Amino acid sequence: MLLIAFLILFPLIIAALLLLLRGDGIRNVVVWVSAVAIAVASIMFAVQYLGSPWKGFEFSSVAADYIACAIGVAISGVVLGFGVKYKNSLAIVLAIIQLVGDLIFEFGFAHNVHVEVGLYVDSLSIVMALIIGIIGSGICVYALGYMIDFQKHLDEHGEGMTELQRKDRRPTFFALMFLFLSAMFVIVLSNNMTWMFTGWEITTVCSFLLIAYTRTDEAINNAFRQIIMNMLGGIAFLAAMFFSVIYAQTLSFQDFVLFGLNFPWLVAVPVCLLAFAGLTKAAQMPFHTWLLGAMVAPTPTSALLHSSTMVKAGVFLLIKLAPLFAVCVIPAQMVILVGGLTFMLCSFMAISQTNAKRVLAYSTIANLGLITACAGVATPEAIWAAVLLVVFHAAAKSLLFLCVGTAEHHIGSRDIEDMDLLFERMPWLARLMMLGIMCMFIAPFGMLIAKWATLVSFVDSRQMALVLLLAFGSAATFMFWGKWLGKLSGIAGSPENVELTVHPSEWASIGLMAIIALVACIALPLMSTLFVEPYIAGIFGQLGGDIAIDNLWISSILAAFVFVILFAGNHGSKAKRADVYLAGVSVDSDDRIYRNSLSGESKATSRNLYLESIFGEGIVRRPGEVLCTIIIVVAIIASGVVPPVL
Amino acid sequence: MGYASKSPWVIHYDASSCNGCDIEVLAALCPGFDVERFGIINTGNPKHADIFLVTGSVNERNISVVKQIYDQMVEPKVVVACGICACTGGIFHDCYNVIGGVDKAIPVDVYAPGCAVRPEAIIDAVVQALGILEEKSKALKESKKGA
Amino acid sequence: MSFITTLIGTIAFAILAPIVGCLLAGLDRIISARMQGRVGPPILQPYYDVRKLIAKDNVTVSGVDGVYMSAALVFTAFAGGIFFSGGNLLMSAFIITMAGLFFIMAAYSSRSPYAELGAGRETVQVMSYEPMVLLMAVCFYMAAGTFNVSSVFGLSAPVILYTIPAFIGFLFILTIKLRKSPFDLSTSHHAHQELVRGTTTEMSGKTLAKVEVMHWCETVLFLGWTGMFFIWGGPLSLILGIVVALAAWFFEIWIDNNFARVKWQAMLRSAWTVALVCGGINIIVLMLV
Repeated sequence: MLLIAFLILFPLIIAALLLLLRGDGIRNVVVWVSAVAIAVASIMFAVQYLGSPWKGFEFSSVAADYIACAIGVAISGVVLGFGVKYKNSLAIVLAIIQLVGDLIFEFGFAHNVHVEVGLYVDSLSIVMALIIGIIGSGICVYALGYMIDFQKHLDEHGEGMTELQRKDRRPTFFALMFLFLSAMFVIVLSNNMTWMFTGWEITTVCSFLLIAYTRTDEAINNAFRQIIMNMLGGIAFLAAMFFSVIYAQTLSFQDFVLFGLNFPWLVAVPVCLLAFAGLTKAAQMPFHTWLLGAMVAPTPTSALLHSSTMVKAGVFLLIKLAPLFAVCVIPAQMVILVGGLTFMLCSFMAISQTNAKRVLAYSTIANLGLITACAGVATPEAIWAAVLLVVFHAAAKSLLFLCVGTAEHHIGSRDIEDMDLLFERMPWLARLMMLGIMCMFIAPFGMLIAKWATLVSFVDSRQMALVLLLAFGSAATFMFWGKWLGKLSGIAGSPENVELTVHPSEWASIGLMAIIALVACIALPLMSTLFVEPYIAGIFGQLGGDIAIDNLWISSILAAFVFVILFAGNHGSKAKRADVYLAGVSVDSDDRIYRNSLSGESKATSRNLYLESIFGEGIVRRPGEVLCTIIIVVAIIASGVVPPVL
Repeated sequence: MGYASKSPWVIHYDASSCNGCDIEVLAALCPGFDVERFGIINTGNPKHADIFLVTGSVNERNISVVKQIYDQMVEPKVVVACGICACTGGIFHDCYNVIGGVDKAIPVDVYAPGCAVRPEAIIDAVVQALGILEEKSKALKESKKGA
Repeated sequence: MSFITTLIGTIAFAILAPIVGCLLAGLDRIISARMQGRVGPPILQPYYDVRKLIAKDNVTVSGVDGVYMSAALVFTAFAGGIFFSGGNLLMSAFIITMAGLFFIMAAYSSRSPYAELGAGRETVQVMSYEPMVLLMAVCFYMAAGTFNVSSVFGLSAPVILYTIPAFIGFLFILTIKLRKSPFDLSTSHHAHQELVRGTTTEMSGKTLAKVEVMHWCETVLFLGWTGMFFIWGGPLSLILGIVVALAAWFFEIWIDNNFARVKWQAMLRSAWTVALVCGGINIIVLMLV
């Protein structure tokens, strides 16, 4: 209980402190110390409640309710302010709807409902707390070095920018990052839906402010796209709470789920609305564009909010709703179809991207789609897979984002084609990036094992469409990761090593992510027994995971083997070095220059296949958006109409 | 017999001249003669090849190409000069840009004269080259042991 | 199925598969030669080739391709070991993909334009056949009730009775997996093509020998997958499985000799259409029954 309070309140205090600090030196100290403190606290928290079943804490406070309401009003106010300033009418309308809804809810409905058990802990929230506490604070440390380079770049190359765009906003940046951590802890540890909703809205607005960080037109536009889509989700969440109070007279999530299990037809609409909120936050089609736009934000933001934690709040909510999906067919089908389609189509679109951050964004959306679909299937195996996907994706993806961010600052590009020769220019970084990529899609790493469990659960629950979507989607996954991996592995001559100027804080957190990803892969069997199975047992009363433990061990050994090859096997080759074959006379083998038929010099260039004529955004995106929109609209209407008729 | 001579993979380069020998070399590699009986494969990639079949004379323009292909071949390797032009420059020997036979560019192991060189002569030359390949292979093994 | 069985299976596969695969490769070349009206090389020719390659000098462009190919070989051995010791079919399929990935990385590492192009095409090839492999495994799972290959010996009827469409689809992508014409886009056995030798352009000596051995092992593994469909009950059905696998292999050689190579667009479209139709129909039927 004390630890929970620490996890929620400590980042808040640090956020306030960071807002006031101006100097780099003192900020470094504060961020380092508090990041370590949060990480240690989350580990202690995990150890204390390891393997425990659902455990609630009686905690309720009228003051906290009022604070939550006040925060809600403040958030609407912030959005309203920005909406007026940048003349975005849609954002203004949504902010007003939310403001009014919030106030009506607080003073008209919520007062009559008392939630005894305000906080809780179970294995899923432990997993999430560990991700937030360790990966999240690791990314904050990374941001220290990254933001120095970022600001330097702005100062040096910001001639065309206005004073407002060049301003050093780092105090706000770090304050928002820590505020965000606190809000995430609130989401995963609150049983009181009002508090959960408050955390939910804080993450939305943090993301909004961080996307708009540079105040360029593109950043402002993308930030508004994010806030509009997520406020739709927020309003759906709010509406679901109205339903919950009216039908179930409760705002406790646990009680809501229990009520829903007894009266599935009554909760069809609120479950649909909550699922809708989850889909928007998890950037599922047709809402995936906000996550793509969010890539203009500084890379630590993308790593923290837009891959490892905030979007995970969306799927976290869906996983928590899984028991209800098992009894409510309509919302379950909505989540399954939208998730499955998103997985396949976004994997397709990732093939056509050359921008590394966009590839990461598409792959993030795709994997969230897979987790979403698993939550909708709601069998023990599917939930087992979903939780593991959350863990592996958080670790591997934040590693990749951090690597891409550092590479961008040192090679001046985030284009995959420019990462040619990275293996020589930034030897350690390239290897870590390769490790991250391998963790994302290939046996024997955990991600694939989880995908495998997904496949089994889809087949067992007779989700034929999902099996096909998964089969084609994962084939596309191989293509876009494989060619990126290949680009990284190129070796020629000995170009200048540009890695030496990477900040130590960046190395520290990149190293941390790599270790987490690797340990998670190698210790997969242990993780399954310690974290995931207690949760499944608590929810379904039986264990999931149809994959024999022997297979898990085989894959964990092979994962270690791959690691050894990547990091130890590359040097000490005694073989003579030869030039590449250029079908004629080569002039410079390292640069692939050969003598052409006019005795001049030509450079042989090759580019990866991006298959834009088949998987281009222009071809895939529109049908996917239309299809998913239809599914969502039909499901929400049907959930309101069909159960009463039946 | 060692394995080197049981699996001679060839690469073929037409340096210049009238192309008659080039056509004969390709004819010898055709299914009609079925050189795959002896494990011979036409690779088209110097890094995979053991025997370098050159036709035509070396001139200012292609000498560097011939040298580069030879350099890119992996030891042990042998060179067969096919046709009189490749051996000495042939009737083109006093052309303004012709340097001479292939041996002006790279060490040649077997000379197969003829204008144009006949498939039988090519096959005979390759068989002789196999013996040299075998010796070189042994020498390489010895030097590896010694090192 | 325990860990020890897999390990023993892997070692056994690592020893036996190269022998069987080498003989098959030799036979392949003889049969191809006969189809073209030639005599062809001795049956041990692939063995001679590999021995020669091992004896060649040690030369490399990137310095790491040899290590990557060794890794690919180890993964191939594991994939085979898992399958032939009666382990998990899906695991075997995933790990052979891993071997393919290391092969692709070995090609990319040289930065040769030809090898890069070949490797890029190889990723398209993997993308083309992967859905059908997954669907084939799913159909097997639905028919046999488990992914464990050893379970076929306890069946009352062979899996093929329920999976004819999936088997046809699998035969189609088998051509891609064995890198046979018309789908030998990434690297070809024949000289004088636009890619030089594609993925293997920059590999020589021992590294190239590893590629050859990996192809032998892959052939044995994929033919094992083919035969698996026809095995049930008693050990006598093993003979049927082997006969069918060899027939499928002969069929692939026949295709190899009779079709010209296609572009990647045609390969991707046809392979995905086949996967969607064959795999989809089979899964629908199995789910409804």
